Amino acid sequence: MSTDVTSPVSTRPSWWRRLYSQSPTLLAGLAIALGFVVGAIVIIVTSPPVLRSWRHIFSSGGAIFSALKITADTVGAAYRAMFTGSVINPSLLWHSLSTGHGWSATLTPLSETLTYATPLLIASIGVGIAFQTGIFNIGANGQAIMGGIGGAAVGSMIHVPMIFHLPLTLIAGILGGVIVGLVPGLLKAYTGAHEVIVTLMFNYVVAAFLIFAVLSTPLQQPGQSNDISRTIDGSAQLPPLFGVSSGLRVSYGIFVAVAVVVFAWWFLERSSLGFEFRVTGQNPQAARASGINAKFVIIAVFCVSGGLAGLAGTVQMQSTTHMVDGGFLIGNAGIGFTAITVALLGRNKPVGIMWGALLFAALGVGGRAMQAATGIPLDLATIIQSFVVLLVATPVMITEIFRLRNVETQRVQLATQGWGS
Amino acid sequence: MSTIASQQHAAVRRDRRVTTIGALMVFLGALMAVVFGLIVPSGAHSQLTFTPLNTAVHAPWHLGALTLDTRWSDTVLGLMAIGLGVDVIVRQPRRALSRFGLTSVLFLLALLLWTSRTGGPAQTNFVNVTTVLIGSSSLVMVLIYGSLSGVMCERAGVVNIAIEGQFIAGAFLGSMIESTTNSFWLATLAGALAGALLGWVLAFLALRYMSDQIIVGVVIVTLLSALSSYLNLQILTPYPQFNLGNPAPNVAIPFLYKIPVLGPVLFNQTGFFYLAVALIALISFGLFRTRWGLRVRAVGEHPKAAESVGINVVATRYRNVILGGAIAGIGGVAFMATQGPFQPGYTSGLGYIALAALIFGRWTPSGAVVASVLFGILDYLSYNLQNYSFPLSTEILGMFPYLITIAVVAGLIGRVRPPAADGIPYQRS
Repeated sequence: MSTDVTSPVSTRPSWWRRLYSQSPTLLAGLAIALGFVVGAIVIIVTSPPVLRSWRHIFSSGGAIFSALKITADTVGAAYRAMFTGSVINPSLLWHSLSTGHGWSATLTPLSETLTYATPLLIASIGVGIAFQTGIFNIGANGQAIMGGIGGAAVGSMIHVPMIFHLPLTLIAGILGGVIVGLVPGLLKAYTGAHEVIVTLMFNYVVAAFLIFAVLSTPLQQPGQSNDISRTIDGSAQLPPLFGVSSGLRVSYGIFVAVAVVVFAWWFLERSSLGFEFRVTGQNPQAARASGINAKFVIIAVFCVSGGLAGLAGTVQMQSTTHMVDGGFLIGNAGIGFTAITVALLGRNKPVGIMWGALLFAALGVGGRAMQAATGIPLDLATIIQSFVVLLVATPVMITEIFRLRNVETQRVQLATQGWGS
Repeated sequence: MSTIASQQHAAVRRDRRVTTIGALMVFLGALMAVVFGLIVPSGAHSQLTFTPLNTAVHAPWHLGALTLDTRWSDTVLGLMAIGLGVDVIVRQPRRALSRFGLTSVLFLLALLLWTSRTGGPAQTNFVNVTTVLIGSSSLVMVLIYGSLSGVMCERAGVVNIAIEGQFIAGAFLGSMIESTTNSFWLATLAGALAGALLGWVLAFLALRYMSDQIIVGVVIVTLLSALSSYLNLQILTPYPQFNLGNPAPNVAIPFLYKIPVLGPVLFNQTGFFYLAVALIALISFGLFRTRWGLRVRAVGEHPKAAESVGINVVATRYRNVILGGAIAGIGGVAFMATQGPFQPGYTSGLGYIALAALIFGRWTPSGAVVASVLFGILDYLSYNLQNYSFPLSTEILGMFPYLITIAVVAGLIGRVRPPAADGIPYQRS
């Protein structure tokens, strides 16, 4: 808060001290590194061959080295599979470069990561904008589900040319999210109900509504008794970027995501409403004193945040599944919950969130590849993510662990102040 | 401004919110009396049976069925609800929310009678009351553990949103330990330790590093659901002998268990049920009748004042959050002991319903128990209503605990107030 007073230009520390200080990037990097260390420990203590090798380290002289080697190989194989499954496989890349063929297989991991990152990024921006306003939107998942339902309804029930259908479907998704987001916003503005409780409860309400919706006649796939909706028209789908024949799933949705990042940056840094949001988040009293309409800001931020979450839901639906079913964004697939962690990792800034979304998307996609290659369950990715976020949410702990210098005392801005009465 | 408004309310002694509850109750009553009652063709009958299905375990003797005229019994139930509602509007009692809970139970009963009438939509034309209550009781019990855990933590000023995670930990570890040692005592101990450890993590991050308690709670739930799913694949799937999920034996209390209906529901239960009842009494008494409880509540309401009279705020919070975690951990073991082997995701958000019950119960043990009973029955019915071809979709019914809680938090019906310092990091200055 008083950094500009205490660090005059003349005593600017050396580059090493600056690097070794509490910069946000370093904190995030160290949190990520520690997350991978914890992941490695989880792999080691649950892998039978590794444990077996350590049981015999006293039987012979070389046993300890072989145990170390087995451990390193197991962890290495897991993380290697994670990397090659989510970013690039060097041998495939070399093959493609030297022969000019097989680009599809080479680029598939990257394409999958981008496909997964697209809705995650959009939802995370929504959560981040709410955080910057001092609002904890824990209901992004419900809003995204409703966005998916809205998009699926418009995408499958009206039939118009693509130039109208695609935007209409996207707007329907946004509206779905806005509707679910508006309720907690109105309740908070007019009754003071704490948004965490309301949005948390709404996640379950919407999850139940999803099942209800995909089992009821207008939305359910005709001739089906399962909880599955109609498939949206081709004119409402976000087509693959490189054509269907390429086999790469990455879709035009990434342009939506990029537009959202640009919009969020402009909105927060340049627009007057965004300024009001940030002032409200940093100092509600000052905001009120300077004539900012607090009720309006609360309702507006829920519309923006919910709308973005809804957009994320419909983009997910339009670019990958093309329909919603009873498990849409439920459980492990709940991007709305991952979005909270991504927003925290990215310190609620659009560009930071972009990197966070790419990282967590890569972890998720890589986790699946790791499970296929090594049999280590993909939940490891979520375990690593959880640890990273726990550490990011407690920057003081990282500072203590690594004995960082306290040059910049900026902390992740946290939103909640109790249940608020 | 708001204080002036409340003073004015006090002057006329009428609270708009209480009146709203009363009006809602009258509305529900009218709905029951008309839609489930008067509209029903005369001559339709519903049967209530009371002999539990599993007579070997639950029933000391057979009980006759009660055949009711659907039309008139639902009308009477509706009139009872209307009477309760009018009473709330006229007398403005302080405990309006619990009367609302009673009305909800009447409403459920009327619905059950209506669906199971002769010529009604259901396959069976009877409702086995005892079975419904026994089935609900295990969910109610788990919710009681969860909401009591919440009471312990939040009364001391720490938001425990990680109840779900503590349930998962308790259920996972409980199943493993019970399967290997064949002892529910050890399983309970392990579950309590696991829950306490998670409580300590929450307290450590929240109290030492002033982390956001809600974020830490959410992440603990995410972490535990991932970790349990991971360990399930790595350990429980290859070695199913670690995940037998034996049901806990019922312990009948002599003589009492022979009381019709109430006996099998309340006095022929697992040890976990009796432990939950004991905890309710213990925590209610401790929180409101002992010096410890006074201190805990002081820490939760006004930590600075508590510190100034020599109460160690941080230590009190640590102690309560760890104890609360242990209670939720035991709740997880209790869930496993009644619902079978561990599977990933099988607590299905029960921890969040427990949180809702805590809020609906105004952060008091007794209120949390009433809310747990209501939400537990609702949850049980929403899973089991296919049998009755319910007119209301099960998903819609499943929304009710959450919707009721939202309405209560928003002050649309009733008014709840959390402990003043709940969730606010305490910084000794």
